[in-house]
Amino acid sequence: MKTPLKSRIRLSPDDAIRIAAETAPGLPPARMASSDKAQSFNMRLRTSTIAAIEARAKADGATLKQVICRALADAGIAVAPADLEDGTPRRRAA
Amino acid sequence: MPVLTIASSKGGPGKTTVAMLLSGRLAADGIKVTAIDADPTMAFHRWATNAYEGPAFTSRTQTDETHLAHLIDAESRVADLVLVDTAGFGNRAAAVAMTSADAVLIPTLSGEADITEAEKTVRLAEGLARAARRDIPARVLLNRVKRTQLARHAAREIERATLPLLAATLGDLVAYGEMTFSGRVPDQGVAGDELARLVAELRTIGWIPTRHNGLT
Repeated sequence: MKTPLKSRIRLSPDDAIRIAAETAPGLPPARMASSDKAQSFNMRLRTSTIAAIEARAKADGATLKQVICRALADAGIAVAPADLEDGTPRRRAA
Repeated sequence: MPVLTIASSKGGPGKTTVAMLLSGRLAADGIKVTAIDADPTMAFHRWATNAYEGPAFTSRTQTDETHLAHLIDAESRVADLVLVDTAGFGNRAAAVAMTSADAVLIPTLSGEADITEAEKTVRLAEGLARAARRDIPARVLLNRVKRTQLARHAAREIERATLPLLAATLGDLVAYGEMTFSGRVPDQGVAGDELARLVAELRTIGWIPTRHNGLT
């Protein structure tokens, strides 16, 4: 005689993850990892323009890239959220 | 406390609408509900935080299956009912939510592809239950039903596939679409009656509590 199954025996979270992975191994994650990788984009600007961006960056405590990307975002350009963050090693270490 | 996962491997059968209806109605009944949005679109959570007008319930989001398993476990210790709204395609978070559930509700429309995907979801739930050595009952809910030959045919097809079907159905009503904008869960009229019948049936089969259990 089979042992009756009981619905109120709750699995541990680790067991639920393991059983789901073993039973349906081919399923993708609900949210796919982004393929939106960073790449270089160089510009030649007048010295005065660069100085103005640097001045704003210093005043805002931001990076040059942040100043530019924030302005683009404010203008309605679809700037990736990651490009609005300060990702420099200096600040990450802070 | 019970965990009810709303799942379907197909998009568009009304999972999020059903989650909205149940969360709002059960919160109005005094049930302490936690709804977890495991769909990357975050449609439910957006509605719950921006549009919903009614007695409060807790809305959380989590699409990562590992974090989701732990969130379900934690919330099930403090809520009367945990509702999990999953994404409309086969995915790991939905599988974990079904494995962690006490019951799986599978909304479907009346089309052939919809019923085929509902059957796949039922079979997945059955497989997960066997692997977990737990009884995880699954029921299909016919949604956006029009009183047509197609709806009757769909019900027969579901029976032929031996899929467990709820007697309650939800119609193709404007009130449900309005709810997504107004934030008001229907409590009267045809939509209110349909929702009352669905809640009554879910209570009869023991999937949702009848009252707040006193936990804070």
